[in-house]
Amino acid sequence: MKRLLALLLALVMVFGLAACGNSAAPAEKPAEAPAEAPAEAPAEAPAEAPAEAPAEAPAEEIVINFPSIWVGTDSKAAYMAQLVENFNAENAGAIKVVVEEQTDYQAYRDKIRTTITTGSAPDLCILDTTFDIKAYSESGKFMDLTPYLNEGWGDTFADGAFDAWSVDGHTYILPFESAIFPLIYNTKIFNEIGWDHFPATYDEFFQFCKDAKDKGYNAMGQMAGDNAWSSMLWYSLIVEAIGGKDVYANGLQDPAFVEAAKVLKEMYSYTFDGAISATAGDVNGHWLARDTAIYLNGPWWIGNLYKEDNAVDGVLLADDCDVAVNPKYEGGKGDGGLVTTVQGFLAAAKQDDPAKEAAVVKFLQYLTDPDHVSELALSSGAMFFVKYTPSPDTSVIAQKFTEIANNANYTVLHVNGAFPTAFSTEFPAAVSALVLGEVDEQGFVDMLQTAIDNAA
Amino acid sequence: MSETRVHAPLHGRELVLAVLRWILIIFFALYTLFPLLWLAVSSLKTNFEFLAGSPFALPAVPQWQNYINALTVAGLGRMLLNSVIVGLAATAFNIIVASMGAYCISRFRFNGREQLFTLFTAGILVPLNALMVPYFVIINKLGLYNTYGGMILLYCAIGIPMSTFLVRGLMDSIPIDLEEAAYIDGCGFFGRFFHIILPLSRTGIVTAATFEFLTCWNEFVFANLIVSSEKLRTIQVGIRYFTNQFSTDYVSMYAAIMISIIPSILGYVLFQEQIIAGMTSGAVKG
Amino acid sequence: MKLERSDRGPLWAFLGPAIILMLVFFVIPVIYVAVVSLMKWNGISAPEFRAVRNYLLLFKDKAFQRSVINNVIWALVAGFIQVPLAMVMAIILSRKPKGWKFFRTVYFFPQVISGIALATLWRAVYNAETGLLNGLLKAFGQGALAKDWLGTLQTAFPAVLIYWVFYIGYYMVIMMADITTIDESYYEAATIDGATDFQQAIHITIPLIRRTSLLTCVTLASVMGLRQFEQVYMLTNGGPANSTSTIVLYMYKKLQDTNYGMASASAVILILVGIVFIVCIRKLFEGRGEGAAPRKRRAVK
Repeated sequence: MKRLLALLLALVMVFGLAACGNSAAPAEKPAEAPAEAPAEAPAEAPAEAPAEAPAEAPAEEIVINFPSIWVGTDSKAAYMAQLVENFNAENAGAIKVVVEEQTDYQAYRDKIRTTITTGSAPDLCILDTTFDIKAYSESGKFMDLTPYLNEGWGDTFADGAFDAWSVDGHTYILPFESAIFPLIYNTKIFNEIGWDHFPATYDEFFQFCKDAKDKGYNAMGQMAGDNAWSSMLWYSLIVEAIGGKDVYANGLQDPAFVEAAKVLKEMYSYTFDGAISATAGDVNGHWLARDTAIYLNGPWWIGNLYKEDNAVDGVLLADDCDVAVNPKYEGGKGDGGLVTTVQGFLAAAKQDDPAKEAAVVKFLQYLTDPDHVSELALSSGAMFFVKYTPSPDTSVIAQKFTEIANNANYTVLHVNGAFPTAFSTEFPAAVSALVLGEVDEQGFVDMLQTAIDNAA
Repeated sequence: MSETRVHAPLHGRELVLAVLRWILIIFFALYTLFPLLWLAVSSLKTNFEFLAGSPFALPAVPQWQNYINALTVAGLGRMLLNSVIVGLAATAFNIIVASMGAYCISRFRFNGREQLFTLFTAGILVPLNALMVPYFVIINKLGLYNTYGGMILLYCAIGIPMSTFLVRGLMDSIPIDLEEAAYIDGCGFFGRFFHIILPLSRTGIVTAATFEFLTCWNEFVFANLIVSSEKLRTIQVGIRYFTNQFSTDYVSMYAAIMISIIPSILGYVLFQEQIIAGMTSGAVKG
Repeated sequence: MKLERSDRGPLWAFLGPAIILMLVFFVIPVIYVAVVSLMKWNGISAPEFRAVRNYLLLFKDKAFQRSVINNVIWALVAGFIQVPLAMVMAIILSRKPKGWKFFRTVYFFPQVISGIALATLWRAVYNAETGLLNGLLKAFGQGALAKDWLGTLQTAFPAVLIYWVFYIGYYMVIMMADITTIDESYYEAATIDGATDFQQAIHITIPLIRRTSLLTCVTLASVMGLRQFEQVYMLTNGGPANSTSTIVLYMYKKLQDTNYGMASASAVILILVGIVFIVCIRKLFEGRGEGAAPRKRRAVK
């Protein structure tokens, strides 16, 4: 009984502790994390301030809540943190951007989706193509940036950057980080296989694959596990090569999708064992272990090529790498196109208070300032929709990426941006079913179509 | 208990059983220690070794740096403290509420009793991922977004079905005559609860408390959803600090996981030693 | 015990907090989910009523069918293989062999290890090229059996299920705690009658825990089997070709698609399947045998 009493006593003490914690947390909230129900809270404070004391005392500090995924191990983390710090210093007393660090993509998406659904969207957030940008733009929950963009801000962005994402000529959600998907290949492995150039056509490509296999190398890394990221990228490339510029005009009806499935399936004969269950870690591991000839991923991966940790015998991986464009497909409509996607959109919640709206826009303009973006690009290797002069210190591989982007005849979206999220969610199941022979090429496309229909 | 029993020399079937018993004991021990060992070894590799090398090879040079990364970069100390605070408080509330409820359901016949218990049990089945939207709204409306209170309340609540189920299961096996005798002696509702039922259902309560605490400790989705301030982050959010869709620092993540496991194992060992000692020396009256 | 009038007030005071929490955090949210399951809703546009269409779409979807079957298998394996294994170990350890305290603690470890770590480890064990399992097979000259365990239709689900079956610590601890409360006199009498340990387990221990911790564990394990999500999500994400999918994983994917209607409908079906399970298990344990009445607890002084 005594022991039990002691236990109960301990529990009561814990209650006390918790109560202290409770009362402490809200006290520090206004300064530290004013995230609570942004939809309601901001209406009061700043709205009164200008009315009462317009000329004299500065308005109460406006706090912008910004849950961001560009933190932690993200390559943009360091410079983003510095940008926010500088902005806060420049606007000390007037505006304060508070970053809520979010590191897990899926959890971040879940949280953003939930807050937006419940009407508590954060002041500023980062969206990607897994969100239905059109529906979000139409929802009326986001700030209409068109008037500000028309005042010259829009000219700092790449031509046509907003076209695919605007609704009735209005831009609510700003495409910011872009990505292109050229092919990186290991020249040392190519030499060992006896190839001195990158295949220019898919016929040649499969000849290369056979040669690589004979020499014990994987031609490329495929993965159908997790989100099947690598295979989805390859699929986009093949779809572009076969279907060309307008491949998405008729949804999944274009015969290019079935044809591309056949090519993708064949590629699984030239990747490492266990690709069906593989994840990004496996694909990256094989590429780093120098047993895979070709690597496909976005520009954010360039930094890893230069990392000392990934060097073997003191030779950086980048020193053995070159960059190539998507091969041509015999009889295909593709002609020098480039697969791209929007890696990050910036979305600002609609504000009732004009002062706050102005503050958010000010921060957005600061963030997308060409000089800042140039620095951000240099430090992270990432690419952006803002027009900027690349720094002369840019790495060789990154320069080649930019060159490819500049020389592309046209761009085509990566499938994950071209179709609703349901496409991407279903893709791993569909591609593993295809490769394991559960469905044929048409069945593969049907699976994806059904998933899209169910969600629509 | 068998310490007091006298064993005859083993032979025949007994011997086979004894050998079998030890094979089982050792198999399960190896099976359960293996992940821990692997994790410890992996947390000392370089990211390159982990990705490009064999998953079961030893690191060339142990990378203690990973632990320093985990502790400094993600600020795990504060997060551990938060997890302890939230876990203990939620468990305490949860166990008190659940054992009071279980007592009523287990010991008294009243209208709607069975329906009530079915409702509680069905609660165990609810996939909580589906409730992100309602939970977010509830916590927000209560003004508990971004507070310890919000997490404690939510964790306390989502564990109620499980705890009630576990505690009631045990209370049901306590013979009713003990209580009836006490009732005749003039022991009231509360007296019977505190002096008879609670002490006798300690096993159930400890089981439920362990489960509840581990649930809180390992919960991630809601910890991330209903908190935004870094000062209130729990350890599971910290572990994810090293994962990123595009560049996962696996080894530092493993170091962070190791750091997060050590207190729970220590806590479990201590908790277990004390509580189970209390359980087995059990007594009706103190 | 019959409810006396004087107990009525305290009774509702005791039940009150639990009932309020259940109402706010379970009943109301589940009603919300049930309502959404009749809607077409993407979480941002206006919801559209579409009656049972979401349910019809679910029943037509092969991935969902597979998820339900997997969950049922999982629940059965958990309740009728995993728990009995745990029971055997609980009986063995409650006999207090050398180092039993150490083993009891060790068996519990997997429960405190983060799911991410367990999943990555088992991915590594099942890996086609560098996996431990294939390595062992090759070492024993069975290299022909080596395969991509998580990437083969026939082996992926068994692989996900089997590794997990042996993590019995939690149920073992529950049953051990129960066994230690069995009065010593039962065993003393049996020992005098010459009953072996094995006979004592069959005739004393199991009947005495059957209605208590064994029922609790079987129910718990089955429900956990039905709710299975995290391990599958991290080990296979339901692949290959949905062969390892579960209802909650399916639901989670529909949430990602902002298909709130179908996600909610699958949650409702999970709850219904679960209730059937719980009722059947109760019937099974109540129906058979002489029904162990509340028993003597040990060391009451």
